[in-house]
Amino acid sequence: MPDNRSKLARGEAITGYLFILPQMLGFLILVLVPLVMVFVYSFESRNLLFGNMGFAGLENYKTLVEDDLFFMTLKNTIIFSLGVVPLNLVLSLALALYLGANAAGAKIVRSVIFLPVITSGVAWAIVFKYLFQGGDAGPINYLLSFVGVEGPNWLHEKGWAMFAVVISRVLKNLGMNVLIFMGAVMNLPQDVLEAGRIDGATKPVLFWKIKLPLLMPSILMVTIVTVIGSMRVFDTIKLMTDGGPEGSTMVLVYYIYHQAFKTFNIGYASSVAVVLFMIVLLLTIIQWSLRKRASYYED
Amino acid sequence: MCTACTGSACCSCDGTGKYRRGASSGPVEIKIATWTANTDQIALLQSFVDEFAEKEGIEIQAQFESIDFGEYNTKLSLELQGSEAPDVFWVLETSAPAFIQSGLLAELDEALAEYNPDDFSAKAMELWQKDGKTYAVPFSTSPFFILYNADLFAAAGIATPEELAAEGNWNWDTFREASKAVKDATGVWGYQTVDGGGYDVRILHNLCPIIRSYGGDAWTSDGQILINTPESVAAVQLFHDMVYVDGSVVPPGDQSNFFAGAAAMTAAQVSRVSNLAEADFAWGVAPMPAGPMGDVPIIGQAGIGAYSKGDNVEIAKKLVAYMTSESCVARMAGIWPPARKSVLESPDFLASQPLLTEEQMDAAVGSSIETGRVLPSHVMYPQIEVESRIVWDRLWTPNADVQAVLDGVADVYAKYIN
Repeated sequence: MPDNRSKLARGEAITGYLFILPQMLGFLILVLVPLVMVFVYSFESRNLLFGNMGFAGLENYKTLVEDDLFFMTLKNTIIFSLGVVPLNLVLSLALALYLGANAAGAKIVRSVIFLPVITSGVAWAIVFKYLFQGGDAGPINYLLSFVGVEGPNWLHEKGWAMFAVVISRVLKNLGMNVLIFMGAVMNLPQDVLEAGRIDGATKPVLFWKIKLPLLMPSILMVTIVTVIGSMRVFDTIKLMTDGGPEGSTMVLVYYIYHQAFKTFNIGYASSVAVVLFMIVLLLTIIQWSLRKRASYYED
Repeated sequence: MCTACTGSACCSCDGTGKYRRGASSGPVEIKIATWTANTDQIALLQSFVDEFAEKEGIEIQAQFESIDFGEYNTKLSLELQGSEAPDVFWVLETSAPAFIQSGLLAELDEALAEYNPDDFSAKAMELWQKDGKTYAVPFSTSPFFILYNADLFAAAGIATPEELAAEGNWNWDTFREASKAVKDATGVWGYQTVDGGGYDVRILHNLCPIIRSYGGDAWTSDGQILINTPESVAAVQLFHDMVYVDGSVVPPGDQSNFFAGAAAMTAAQVSRVSNLAEADFAWGVAPMPAGPMGDVPIIGQAGIGAYSKGDNVEIAKKLVAYMTSESCVARMAGIWPPARKSVLESPDFLASQPLLTEEQMDAAVGSSIETGRVLPSHVMYPQIEVESRIVWDRLWTPNADVQAVLDGVADVYAKYIN
């Protein structure tokens, strides 16, 4: 009997491994190997035109510490994330609460909100570049002129360019977060909410004291995903501002692209990529540990 | 001398002078990377490949890869490090020193010897040679000139650039006046920078003609940085005033296009003239305006080279030599003005672009090839371009201090050039 049982268990284990094999192979070849290569390249003097010019030790990291452009792009990345993440979370949560309550026109709003998610990121950025044109040529400035406001040259003025890029990015990805929050809102335990109402909780109290704590696991998950997504932004920057004006929208991923593929400096670009990886990893660990503390109702 | 294989055998040369038969029979596959997607232009290049194959007695299967201009270097450099490398590829003038130094371009002198290499203008070849050896051939040596919308000039009731040039009164001051007069009279922009990229990717193409005709420059081949000299500052100030004082130039961020009738003038090369084949407005051409130092147009060059580490490097080198022979460049001349003196001096050259009269071709293209100069180049050009762009951006505000911005640009140049 024990022999038969262990054979059965082994067979089931093999079947299980076979099922995950394609995914594991994909992960190994397309994620893990490139990741290791980036770490290796970051210690090399490697150029896209000249090839590997030898082991560089910590030279790339030393250059990075002395590179003003790196710190400028790091600052821009933080500004971009601070713009995108809170705005995205607040808007998507508000919309999810509105739509989850089956309010009037919810179905239409739901479809409209989700449309940008299935739209090509490239097409989205090109349309927003057109909308944010400066002078009278831009549709947004044209609309602003009706209320007596002279719009700025959005994508060519420092400050406004980052604002325009943040707005474009928030609207593009809003739908996915709304969908996740809607799932959480619709699964809120009705008996708990009902008990709160019977106890005389007003709507704000109901939200702050019952709904928000219950939604915290979803909020943290969405926060992690949105933060990581905002750190990896590329297409919006590439197509709307090309990192300008004055490098004010040059974020880390775009700087890596510039170093690797515009100036061919793969070794240095890899060292910046490693730093970005470490930042994202650190943020994820912090947020994951906060999840345990902030999620009152999670096991 | 390589001995061509017969029939449809796959051949490559092993460097000892003999073509090597491939493991499998079939045509030799040659991949050619370009940044044009124009089907007529690709068909012309394909016809050169066919002629070359016939001449060599081999069968060639050419695969043309059209890469977007803006991403050309990025994609090409990646392909050259992988297994999808092209055998023959176009080279941007600004990347020529870096590509030559990297060793990715094969030396072409032996292959070129068959096609009268002395016919190439020495001035045009400078950028593509190192230590007396040739690593690519400029198939295009194309000066920038002014295209103008004659209808808008008529509506404004002012003389056209062509008329001003004929009077000997075509300079940056009259250019500025014309641009403003058109904008004031018609409401349409007076000038669009080259391909609309004059504030970023084409900034030197946009500013260098003015700067050089004022006696300045970006930097010189012997390492002098002149971008912040009084002459350069005066030239850049003129353009800045056109944008922010006169309001007559399509500003940064505005996508108004000359070819759609939304600007009265633009700077262009002869390859762009085909965009006007079906224009619904009358148009003309004029040389670049002159400054205190005369008319100094920018010549845009593009080279063609062979990948030094490719499987078919010997065939690729011979193909490049053939494609830049007198016979081939004469047929390309209406699109890409050549560097061969025999073609430039022939009467056929002036008639090679059907949309331009011989007089226009002579005034705007032929004479400018003599007076024009290529953009400054440097092996670190990609780094210079990326870093200086951040400083150049400071120029595009109404209250910019031109001298201070150009001092900043000069600092970036100095970091790499010195």
